[in-house]
Amino acid sequence: MANYIPEIHQATLPNGLNLLGVEYDRVPWLSLTFIAKRGAEADPPGKGGVADWTAEFLTLGTQKRTQLQLAADIEARGAALSARAGWDATVVSLEGLAEDLPELMATMAEVVQTPGFPEGEFPLLKERRRAELAHLQDDPREFANRRFTRLFFGDAPYGHPASGDLESLETIGLEDLLDFYRREFTPRESTLVMVGMAPFARMAAEAEKAWAAWSGGGPVSPPYTQAPERLRAPGTYLLDRPDLTQSEIRIGHLGLPRSHPDYHPLRLVNYILGEGGFSSRLMTRIRSDLGCTYGIRSSFNFRRAAGPFVISTFTPAAQSALVVKEIKAVVREVREAGVTAQELAEAQSYYVGHFPLGLETPRGIGSRVVSMDLYNLGWDYLQRYRERISEVTLDAAREAAMRHLQPDSLVTLVVGPAAQCSKDLEALGTLEIIS
Amino acid sequence: MTLALKLDPAAWQPEIEIVPYRLDNGLKIFVLPDPRVPAVSLQLHYHVGSRHELQGITGISHLFEHLMFRGSETLGPEEFSRILQAKGGEINAFTTRDHTSYFENLPAEHLELGLQLEADRLANLKLNDENFQTERQVVISERKLRSVDSPFGLVLEQLFAAAYTQHPYQWPVIGWDQDLKRMGLRECLSYYQTYYHPGNLSVVIAGDARPDQARDLVEKHFGKIPSPGPVADLKVAEPPQRGERRALLKKVSQVEALFAGFHIVGMAHPDVYPLTLLAVVLSGGRSSRFYQEFVKPGRAVEMEAEIASPPWTSQDPDLMVLTAIAAPGQSLSQLEDDLWAALARLEKDGVQPVELARAKKLIRAQAARGLSQNFYRGLLVGLFDMKTGDAGKVNEMLKLYEAVTLEDLHRVAKEYLREDNRTVVALKPVSPEESRTLGEMV
Repeated sequence: MANYIPEIHQATLPNGLNLLGVEYDRVPWLSLTFIAKRGAEADPPGKGGVADWTAEFLTLGTQKRTQLQLAADIEARGAALSARAGWDATVVSLEGLAEDLPELMATMAEVVQTPGFPEGEFPLLKERRRAELAHLQDDPREFANRRFTRLFFGDAPYGHPASGDLESLETIGLEDLLDFYRREFTPRESTLVMVGMAPFARMAAEAEKAWAAWSGGGPVSPPYTQAPERLRAPGTYLLDRPDLTQSEIRIGHLGLPRSHPDYHPLRLVNYILGEGGFSSRLMTRIRSDLGCTYGIRSSFNFRRAAGPFVISTFTPAAQSALVVKEIKAVVREVREAGVTAQELAEAQSYYVGHFPLGLETPRGIGSRVVSMDLYNLGWDYLQRYRERISEVTLDAAREAAMRHLQPDSLVTLVVGPAAQCSKDLEALGTLEIIS
Repeated sequence: MTLALKLDPAAWQPEIEIVPYRLDNGLKIFVLPDPRVPAVSLQLHYHVGSRHELQGITGISHLFEHLMFRGSETLGPEEFSRILQAKGGEINAFTTRDHTSYFENLPAEHLELGLQLEADRLANLKLNDENFQTERQVVISERKLRSVDSPFGLVLEQLFAAAYTQHPYQWPVIGWDQDLKRMGLRECLSYYQTYYHPGNLSVVIAGDARPDQARDLVEKHFGKIPSPGPVADLKVAEPPQRGERRALLKKVSQVEALFAGFHIVGMAHPDVYPLTLLAVVLSGGRSSRFYQEFVKPGRAVEMEAEIASPPWTSQDPDLMVLTAIAAPGQSLSQLEDDLWAALARLEKDGVQPVELARAKKLIRAQAARGLSQNFYRGLLVGLFDMKTGDAGKVNEMLKLYEAVTLEDLHRVAKEYLREDNRTVVALKPVSPEESRTLGEMV
């Protein structure tokens, strides 16, 4: 068995651009990922979506090529270019066959360094976005995700969907995209991750050729690291959707930043609570015992600042109150009674055993390297990962549950037909109807 | 010691090494050795899907897939998943029109545990009324999620129901609501006896496993499970469609949309390769015809030509589905006219050499990327064997794409994308009030 934990090669160009490379030999693939280290949290107030629109706009033409020329050239090589803003970073990705390394590297550099910002593309982008956002309302799950984010964080930086919404759409102009690009895209706050079938020396040489002359913009926005002081008051909120047969349910409170020392124990606790599929308490209770849903999961969104902790599920509308009540009981139980030694051991062996599976594909490796860089996890993180999981004690897990699960702070959103569920939800306590 | 990596793309071979075996009870085994990551994908493909169902018990294949997780004589409900997940495994299953597949992507050292538990639930499944009732409720919720409350679930169900008049592809894999409510444990027991035995099963092991050892492990755990022999081959055929069929579905929606299904071929037919490339020419990527004509200018939220490409193509003739989702405020009927005009141009002029070359390279690149995963390699082999009767065909796939000519594309466009061969279902948005007057959505 070869040593399957990849070696991460690192170099810095004189302009400050950080290069990270992994040699990969299973298939002749090359995955290039450029990250500018500010994302949707740096959208100007009231203009949610600017980072994400900027990312897409980079793919709509460069100073040398139109959208069609660029797409045709890339797709003629069987490659795919995509760009989007997430939280904490804006990401441009170009993946293709390793035989095309020089062309793919040059194209990535052209897209990031010399975008065309073609005026004619802007109204088209806006209309496409308007149509997509309208259509999203037909998807109850996505609708509930977006509505919960807004309900919970309000106008704070994590409060809008990364891709924006119909309200912010009207306020965004081409100038906003140019401003975002000039401010946030600079080699000093960027990294290029390269995973592919090529020696690192060769990837680095191609990168140097294509990127060394880039000076970029700046200064970038200060990093967003502090959660807002005021959040939505705990309680139950109902949004009436008479057209649905099931309710979408989101229940959550404020989580932790990625840098928090309880990261590993809390991940284990959350696996036991609701991330571990059929091994989780929520799935056991709500699906296996009660048959109330097809799926339920909980997740902590670890970001630079504290992201939300959210439990997501759906159920035939008449069962909404029952499901809400049961979920809260499970959270309280995990917090107060803790997890068992067997549950912890199983969660640990899951993460330890699953570790190699995440390193099978260039994309899997690339996303881990991006996280290591973005959150300063140290270049030995992959080597030490299993040890960090294994060393969590039962006491540490119980303390993490006690400290970070807050059943009294839960904000509950139900999106569903009010006629079938509002009465039962009222019986659980104060119910606020929202639109 | 770290082994030197082989970093020369030109030296890479896409062929999958396949070591086949067959046990005396009829069980097929395919081992695909690859030691580079200490993991295996263990897959069990039962040759039964919604294609084998009858009216009145539609959805039983998928419901039964759920029941396979509800415990055995020795294991409680969901314990199967819990035990293997605690070893680091990814455990899941899926049901299609032609097969029901269970998989465990595992650390290599736990292969035997996976085999032991799979054999246990095949031989000793606990089928009781309590398990049945719980999973029926779960599946009814899943049906609401996937079909009723999803934007286009019911529209697509109508498309297949109208396009197939005699073939079982006319009903959805998840089944009709009334059948889910009607069927009972008795039907499940009969289904289990007919389809769940080694004679109707292929086991695929892809990854860090030695073929002879893997075979012996399968024999150890499955060798004594009896089989009544292979299930009789089900011959079903949809008669040729003789004229366009149209239907309309009204529901609350922000957009108008239409779905057009054209009868094409099953996976063993050579035309599946030019048809897949044709779909890429039409809508693969942002330089494609449909993106440039409809999506980029904001006329359509989505305009796609979709074909389930190998290994996902169905065993019997499938549909190529054109999806047109109009942007709000855009006329769907104008969009439809322009879509047919685009097809007419294709049928008249064929495709350009540069379009075909691009489509071929996109397919080659996607294949190369997919082959990095044991899971995908295993699926390719298992499903090629099941649907074409020849696992080795998987290694001809890229050559078959490569051999497609401009004339092939032109021919399949004319042969399959004909008005008489299509079924069109449109979605018309209505208000919640009007929706209520139209009756319950199930």
